[in-house]
Amino acid sequence: MSINIDFEHKMHAHCETGTLVGLLRHKGFNLTEPMAFGIANGIFFGYFESKNFPFPTFIVRTRPGEVRTKLAKSLGIKIKDFKFKDPKKGMDKLDELLASGQAVGAQVDFFYMDYFPEWMKVHNNVHFINIIGKEGDKYIVSDSYHREKALLDAHSLQKARWAGGHMSPKGFLYYIDKVDSSVDLEKPIKKGIKKACRNMLNLPIPFIGIKGIYKFADKINNWPNLVRDTEHLSHEIMKINMFLEDQGTGGAGFRYMYATFLKQASEIIDDANLNKMSERMMLIGDDWRSISYFAAKIGKKRDLGTDKIKELSDLIRKQGDVEKIFFADLKKLY
Amino acid sequence: MAEKNHADMALEVTQLIIDKLNITHVTADKVNIETPLFSEENELELDSIDAIEIVVELQKSYGVRINDELPTREILYSIKSLTDFLIKENATEKIG
Repeated sequence: MSINIDFEHKMHAHCETGTLVGLLRHKGFNLTEPMAFGIANGIFFGYFESKNFPFPTFIVRTRPGEVRTKLAKSLGIKIKDFKFKDPKKGMDKLDELLASGQAVGAQVDFFYMDYFPEWMKVHNNVHFINIIGKEGDKYIVSDSYHREKALLDAHSLQKARWAGGHMSPKGFLYYIDKVDSSVDLEKPIKKGIKKACRNMLNLPIPFIGIKGIYKFADKINNWPNLVRDTEHLSHEIMKINMFLEDQGTGGAGFRYMYATFLKQASEIIDDANLNKMSERMMLIGDDWRSISYFAAKIGKKRDLGTDKIKELSDLIRKQGDVEKIFFADLKKLY
Repeated sequence: MAEKNHADMALEVTQLIIDKLNITHVTADKVNIETPLFSEENELELDSIDAIEIVVELQKSYGVRINDELPTREILYSIKSLTDFLIKENATEKIG
């Protein structure tokens, strides 16, 4: 079996949005990655402490998959998706879709993406790729994090699609069934902004949105009491850098991506106020990047006295103050 | 000021990284500018934590913000891609 779908491969900042805009582009709809993220109100903050997590954690975007479903709802995009208990049925369905000429998005465990070097491999069950053909028993993959199209053997792909554990992919596949490339973006943009403001300012949950940033600032002071030793604390503090910069966020915990969305939105709907908000969000991104840098530095040097953790906490709290004003001002626009 | 060529600029960027990260085991002229920056093969022996330091330093030194418009990982792929980015952004003179 040899199928090679004519698909334009591009690198993107984030795998979920990158996969989605790649499939949309393939169907003739050129939507930028920040625009997809913004319309789907992907910007977020949440701080979580739970028995289900080995250590407190935070998120800077909405749940994996939500950008796809919200964008589809907002723009009237018809998406067909599938999950499979039986790997054979799931692999057969993929072959069937490819044979019919569909480029297909898939959720996978990043660890099995053999085209990346060993040192990059980590288990992450919410990586997204596009599968765009097959040569013998190898699939042709367009991965937002890889410079060129890549080949992945069927055995690795099957393991990646049915990896176990938290957020397991369960063989998830999707493709774009129908999209109207002439859709007017103005209403979806404004709706996306309103929802982002609501999520950041008004959800009545004490660890979500701005309240989540403040919760993070408070609780991080207690992290030294939750760890086994300095090595463990160093690892957890350096993960702040990883979550903000190293997981396809576009930098600064998706704040740069949101700033780019606002800039592009200002041009589309001809509203100079959005451009000003974009410039402010870019500066907020710079401050998150400073936090990321500070966390990486003290973590790496094991310079983790209570004064440094307090300094980190103060920096995070200041971000809460700044984002609270930012989203309140953004909310006033629409 | 005369325009820097790609090789001079690549050497300057390599030296900046070496200085900023206090790397002592290799000199700038011995670094292959095409080898992936964060791979085991790269002479600079960087880890992912160093990436943020490089990004912040480039912003301070050349006034460029590396964000999502071109994926960070594509810009940070190698010294060559970093140099290409700075030349494309017309940011070849240090400001800080």
